[in-house]
Amino acid sequence: MKTLRGIGVVALAATTALTLASCGFSNDGGGGEGGGTSLDLLVPSYSDNTKSLWEGVIEGFEEENPDIDVNLEVQSWDNLETVIATKIQGGEAPDIYNGGPFASFAADGLLYPAEEVVSPEVFADFQESFIANEQLEGTTYALPLIASARALFVNNELLEQAGVTEPPTDWDSLLDAATKVSALGNGIAGYGMPLGSEEAQAEAAVWLLGGGGTFGDESEITIDDPSNLPGAEQIKAMIDAGATQADPGSTDRSPLMDIFVQGKIGMQVGLPPTVGQIEENNPDLDYSIVPIPTRDGSPFTLGVADQLMAFENDGDKQEAITAFFDYFFTGDVYSDWVKAEGFLPTTKSGAETLGGEEALAPFLEVLPDAQFYPTTNAKWSATDAAFKALFGQLQTQPAEDVLQQIQAQVDAG
Amino acid sequence: MRAEPVGAEAGTRPLRPAARPRSRGREFLQALPWIGPALALIVGVVFFPAGVMFYNSTRDISASGVDRGSAGLSNFAEVFAFPYFWPILGRTIVWVVVVVVVTVVLSLALAQLLDKAFPGRRIVRLAVIVPWASSVVMTTMVVYYGLEPYFGIINTFLVDLGLIQDPEGYGWTRNAGTAFAWSIAVAIFVSLPFTSYTILAGLATVPSEVLEAAKMDGAGPVRTYFGVVLPQLRAAIAVAVLINIINVFNSLPILRVMTGSIPGYDADTVMTMIFKYIQNQHRLDVASALSVVAFVIVILIVAAYLRVVKPMREV
Repeated sequence: MKTLRGIGVVALAATTALTLASCGFSNDGGGGEGGGTSLDLLVPSYSDNTKSLWEGVIEGFEEENPDIDVNLEVQSWDNLETVIATKIQGGEAPDIYNGGPFASFAADGLLYPAEEVVSPEVFADFQESFIANEQLEGTTYALPLIASARALFVNNELLEQAGVTEPPTDWDSLLDAATKVSALGNGIAGYGMPLGSEEAQAEAAVWLLGGGGTFGDESEITIDDPSNLPGAEQIKAMIDAGATQADPGSTDRSPLMDIFVQGKIGMQVGLPPTVGQIEENNPDLDYSIVPIPTRDGSPFTLGVADQLMAFENDGDKQEAITAFFDYFFTGDVYSDWVKAEGFLPTTKSGAETLGGEEALAPFLEVLPDAQFYPTTNAKWSATDAAFKALFGQLQTQPAEDVLQQIQAQVDAG
Repeated sequence: MRAEPVGAEAGTRPLRPAARPRSRGREFLQALPWIGPALALIVGVVFFPAGVMFYNSTRDISASGVDRGSAGLSNFAEVFAFPYFWPILGRTIVWVVVVVVVTVVLSLALAQLLDKAFPGRRIVRLAVIVPWASSVVMTTMVVYYGLEPYFGIINTFLVDLGLIQDPEGYGWTRNAGTAFAWSIAVAIFVSLPFTSYTILAGLATVPSEVLEAAKMDGAGPVRTYFGVVLPQLRAAIAVAVLINIINVFNSLPILRVMTGSIPGYDADTVMTMIFKYIQNQHRLDVASALSVVAFVIVILIVAAYLRVVKPMREV
């Protein structure tokens, strides 16, 4: 797109076939308005509060740094990755971006190494396990913003009705408990299994990794691996036994969680914000949070960290970005932000501040056993997309075939 | 656009045949200040993006949007080598043909009804516009939520009637076949207003003398309709069909909402596949290539339609 830069055409959005695959254009734009520096901040919306939380942060920051203007843009998670790709293609990458996988940006040489845009004291405050997850060939490219871990939400009342006394800890007891709850009838499902496109990769990780499988590492993606088969087969076993809700292959996570909150699902894997969701919508629900059952009962959780990363663009905003990160990750600014969004902190000081939060306790507890997606692999984005598009076919196709198809799409990407 | 007749006149009526070749360029220049803005707009929002689409389809663009150089025709090769491409193309044709044919047939009936004078006709005519006036995404979402298991109103209704045995309802939008069928229903629903009104406008041009003459000659209502009214509607139907073909072929939101959560490619059309290339796989280059293919297909369909049916021929 470089040849088309500077033409200054304002692309009018149009959704016809002609323009569906075209990209946006813009002039070189950027800072320099009125002598000060301006930072473009592109963030996804975690909740209805996200925008006002960031606005609060920006207000405080601009007060301390009057010569820096921060422009906030909030996008939905659905659109975020398309928006960033379009912006990059149009030569208009934001200066700071809050997103998931960063490896493809780093591979294209678009990012500042994290240590160049944050002071050493702040950098040292991050938990090492999280920083390790942000590295590509030894260089840290992103700063972990928030973390979440998963745990099994159990509807105590339904389990009791079905005659299950203890929440399950391994696959056998889970299948048994879920089958019994499903047998209650009346539209009640034992285990809520969302394999639909929304977050198929998460449910896949819960089962494949929980069965001793692997998604690969920094250099290789291994979905079509024999170690992933037990997990995939167990998903099929759950479906075939009628232990899940109907059509798990195309059920999305969020709507299914709503059904759990309404008390019609026995067990489902949830996140820290689920606690708040239940409190808000159905505070009478009698539930408990237990570790995710695995093949052999060993502790495991799927950890996810979202990152902040800084794009180099013209390379003239390093100081302003450093000022922003230092301000954001220091003291109460950060812990208040994390607390309001209901996630887990990634800094040592943040963990201390929020350690007393009761709702977060079950999750902080399982965090040490967390496994992460191989987000540092440049192919992770393609893997993630392949899971979303194909994993739900487990409902109707043999496990090997589905894993092979996912691997094939990853290798082609 | 008042300046246009100057050029048009010179182009169509050879008033000064000898002088034409030389003066044509000058007349165009004279007209330019008036048609310039329109031309700039057309170039800017139609030809330029289309050109970029063609250009992108031959580039190798990374997942984060960086152009890594020419890719020749390999993007097209990938589009055609995709094992689901032909089923998707077949489904696209089913989608276009079923939606357009059913829409036109229903619209013919609806227009006939709306053409008759009856008390409350104005209200009924207004009601027919409603699906047109409301957002397609919103209309589709309403149906989508209605079809949800557990809380969807359509599902609950069917359960209460005893047509579905499971108390949580059936996963209409969770299975490729039913989700696609419901998408067709929604597409017909939102296409009806435009088509009905186009045909209604056509009906208004049928002279009453002709109808009277048919009656005098002893033609019954069926004969009158098929022998007299329908042929006169040819131009109106042609416009309705052409615009609907293009619209329906290019329609993304309905299928995106109704079939979005279904894994695999069993409910996709060319448009949703383009969207999946962009949204899921970040393959801007392959998506552009498929867009070019789609563009060519639409042109071919329209050309075939014009050639076979000759809808614009004078009656």
